[in-house]
Order: sequence, then structure tokens, then C-alpha cells
Amino acid sequence: METDILVIGGGPAGMSAAITADRAGARVILVDESFSLGGQLRQQTQHFAPLPGSEEKVRGTALGNDLIKKLEASKVKILKKHIMIGSYRNENIGVTDGEKTFAIQSQKNIIAPGAAEKAKIFPGWTIPGVMTAGAAQILINRERVLPGKNAVMLGSNDYSLEVARQLKACGVTIKAIVEDKEQMISSDMELLHDMKNVPVYLNSTIESATGKEELNKVVVKTPAGLYEMEADLICIANGFDPIIEPFEIMGCNLAYHKELGGWLPEYNVYFQTSNPSCYIAGNAAGITTIGPVLLTGEIAAIGALEELGFMEQEEAEAQRKELWKELAEIEKRENEKTFRARSELIEGFHQKIGMAFPEEFNMVNGGAHNG
Amino acid sequence: MDKSTIVCRCEEINIDEIETAIKNGAETFDDIKRLTRCGMGPCQSKTCFYPVNEIIAEYTGMPLNEVSLPRLRMPLKMVRMSTLAQDSEGSNVVSVFGESVEDGES
Amino acid sequence: MQITEHPVLDKKFNEEVIFYFNNQSLKAKKGQTVAAALMANSIRKLGASRKLNKARGVFCANGRCTSCFVTINGLEHVLSCTTLVEEGMRVSSNESDPDVRGESNGN
Repeated sequence: METDILVIGGGPAGMSAAITADRAGARVILVDESFSLGGQLRQQTQHFAPLPGSEEKVRGTALGNDLIKKLEASKVKILKKHIMIGSYRNENIGVTDGEKTFAIQSQKNIIAPGAAEKAKIFPGWTIPGVMTAGAAQILINRERVLPGKNAVMLGSNDYSLEVARQLKACGVTIKAIVEDKEQMISSDMELLHDMKNVPVYLNSTIESATGKEELNKVVVKTPAGLYEMEADLICIANGFDPIIEPFEIMGCNLAYHKELGGWLPEYNVYFQTSNPSCYIAGNAAGITTIGPVLLTGEIAAIGALEELGFMEQEEAEAQRKELWKELAEIEKRENEKTFRARSELIEGFHQKIGMAFPEEFNMVNGGAHNG
Repeated sequence: MDKSTIVCRCEEINIDEIETAIKNGAETFDDIKRLTRCGMGPCQSKTCFYPVNEIIAEYTGMPLNEVSLPRLRMPLKMVRMSTLAQDSEGSNVVSVFGESVEDGES
Repeated sequence: MQITEHPVLDKKFNEEVIFYFNNQSLKAKKGQTVAAALMANSIRKLGASRKLNKARGVFCANGRCTSCFVTINGLEHVLSCTTLVEEGMRVSSNESDPDVRGESNGN
């Protein structure tokens, strides 16, 4: 199979990249391992704002459906239930549909595998009933199944409280929020308000999670002693880390940036990694919010389009400048530390490879880049 | 934490086994993997990689960004031998394994 | 347990299918994954770990952790969280590794 641009991942970033690339006339193949497109938007019933070009709040599931419609109306060749298993020496990408394995030859790849939830270990974390917060959200919103009746949330970040709120709306009792830090991580007033009747244990950990074949008892270790509670669900919300395997196998250099989620590929202002054939987009390029996720997909696509001659340099520069401006605006507003870390990663990579900063980046980055 | 707590879910390697490997000289995830099978199960360290590196960092005092990543190999996700072997004349299984060997990445 | 009235989302599944888990006949919604179909029937233990033979179930629900392995129509080690349930599907729990070096295998 042959194409101009291969997009790995059918979540918001991958779909955004594929739609942008298709619009400019490139032949695009999009590969996603699931039986449906949308990635994690499929279970995100929470509202998101701002989005690129809009301050209006949109439900994640609705945003996902909108992108899927646009993608399905395009000429992009969509390969669902296809898994990237690696790359060949000639940089063709190996893909399997579970029946056969084949190679896809592409000029450029835009890799948008997203993020994975970081595990947090405690005695009994392998027992059925202990799962990631994301798994619980998938079960209630995508699968319409209750993962349990009495839940303990481990972690107090925004995502933990968001999932707790959604579980509660489905009838699950939130027995406790357990946080090992000395204060709640989330500072979202709305979420904190919704959780105001839930016991919060700070400076606390899960001492044990037990049950014969399924979870039924949780012991929380707090500074005031051990608390035992009946619960059949523990949701681990320990943050996300970028999925790096496709980049590793493509030989992309990795770097560690705590604020961006941990290890991730280095990339330049075009969202191109150290492997010139591989662009990066979405949460794999640093854990962020939905606005920047969509914008990184567009910026990566424009870089690939420009390199392949589907877009004139002038046009690409103009579009990129606008997209970067918006990315900076949204990300600085929503999580300034993330934007700073992203800028540092990009700056470091440019210095390392001796690549000049294009004007558009100096503009949006302002003081963060001192040469 | 109880040292018998599982870290690698697939191969069921606990904290004690990982710390013992570190005591015996392991400095990286891959060292621990070779000594214990940690990270060698079906998920290929996708779940335990951060917890294991955190244990290494804590035990050795090394910052997390200096604890190296586990070496990744194809296939990135579980795939059946029959699937890899299917249609092998189309340069599939031959090039996957052939090229790995040629590259000296045994 | 199945959620019949979702607080914010429209009804998604209409068609019902019958499948089997460890030879027991169960109902599921067409469009659900095998893992969810089992949880809808209050089955959360999907298998046993390979070494210590401990109960395992859904952990990541995203096809990464392999904690949700089951056997489907005779094929072992299938990710139940990313496989859609089908009419007549025969699912069984993932038991610990077979003893391939045992006497029954001529060793």
C-alpha cells in the first residue's frame, strides 16, 4: 500500500491532521487500532472549551462525532482495526489487521498515538475491580456498563474528579478520594464543589485492596490511622504519559520532560521529530488539553504538506503562524507550565540540531526564548 | 509499601524482586528485565515501565530522567505468529526478522 | 450492571445478542466489547494470572495492559476490551499458562 501521508492514530490529533492533509490534496491513509474512530473523545462526555476558533463549550463525544463526519466525508483512506506493529529498514510501516501483515509506504508519517494512563501500584492493584479512571469512563460512557457500585478514587487531579462526577451521575457512590499529596491536585472550583460531600484523605495511600476474586475491601492509610471501607471499584488517576512506542521504533530521539508527561520524542516547531519522515501530534507531543491537541495535528500536517509540495512555503508559513499563535494563547491560558515545557523542548531540539527558529515561533514564544 | 506488591502485572514481579536485582547491580529497566523477566510479558512493559523506573530512581537516587527506557522491539503490540507468517512472500515475516538479524539487534 | 438510562448520552445499543461465557448463556448489547458484555452480567473476573494464578479483570480498557485476556471461539489470549461481542460467541476465562512441558506433552 502506498500513500503521500500516513497518519497513525484516529483520535482528535490524528483526525485533525488527516483532514488538513486531505484538504490540501495529499493522498492520506489513517490507521487506527480500534473498531471505531474518535480515540478517547469517544467516552469524554465532559465539555471542552476553548477550541480552536471558538470559546463555545462542546461535549467531547460531540466533537469526536463531528471530526469523524468530516473525516468520513473526505478522501482519506481509513483503516480501522489496524495496528502498527513496527517499521521496516526502508521505513515502510508494518501494519496488521489481525489476519495479515502488510507494509505501508508513505512519504511522511504523522504519528498521533495519544497518551496512556500512568499506573500507580499498591498491594492488590491487580485484583478485578481495580482499574484506571479512563477504563471506568470508557465503561460508563462508551459501553454503558457500571464498573462497580462503590468507588474509591486514587488521585485528586482534574481528570479523577471529572470521572468521579460522571460515575456519581450514573449512580455510583464515591466512597473516598485518596491523595498522597498534602492537598488536592485539582483546583477546578466546579469539580471540587461537585465532590464536596465526598470524604477526602490527604497524605494518604491505599494500604491494601482485597477480595476473594473481586475487590470488596479497601484499606486507606491516613496520618490519623487506617480506614477500612467496603468498595468494589478503585479508579487509579495518576496522570498520563505520552505513548512513545511508534516513535521509538522509528528511531526518533526521546527526551524526558516531567511537565509534558515524561518521556516523549523531541520535535521542532513544525512538529517534526529527529526522524525527518515522522511528524508528531496530539498528547504524544506533551500532555495537554483538547484545543492544542487539535492544533498540533494541523501544524504537523502543514509541515508534511509543505515538504511534499502540496502547500507553498508562503502559505504554509502564514497558516502555521496563525495556528501557533492560537496554540500559544490556549495553552498559556489553560496550562502555562505545559506551554513553557513545550517551548523548552522545541528550543532545546533546535539548538541541538542547529536549526534556526522561524519568525512565527519567536513571535508567539515571546520571552521564553532568549536565543 | 509491602515488598510483595506486584509491579509487573504480566510476569508478576514484585518490589522485592526488583530491589534484589538492583542490589545485584541492575541499573536500568533492561538489567532488571534480564534478571527477573519483569516487562517481558504480553504487554511488553507498557504498564510497568514507569513504576519500575520510579523504583530504580528511588532506590539508587538517580533522577528519573536518567533512568533509561526499556529496549523496545517489534512487534509493538501482540500479534499472532500465523498473522506474521501470512502472505510471507509479500516481504512480511522475512523482512521483520531478517532485518533485525542483519542489523545485529539480536 | 447495564446502564439503561445514561445521565447525558442518548441510548446507544438496540440489538441484543446471546453469547456464552464458560458455557453459560448470557445476554449482551450488540456494539459492546466482550469485556463490557461480561461486566454487564456482573462478571468481573476474566481470567487468572500466569504465574500466581490470581484473578484478573479489566484494567486499562484500552488494549494496552493485556489484563483482560479471554479465550474466544477457541483462540487464546484475546483482548476482551477491544473485541466486540457477537451472536453465539463462545468466550471462556483466560486460565494460567498451560504446562507445555508437562508429562501429557511427552516430556
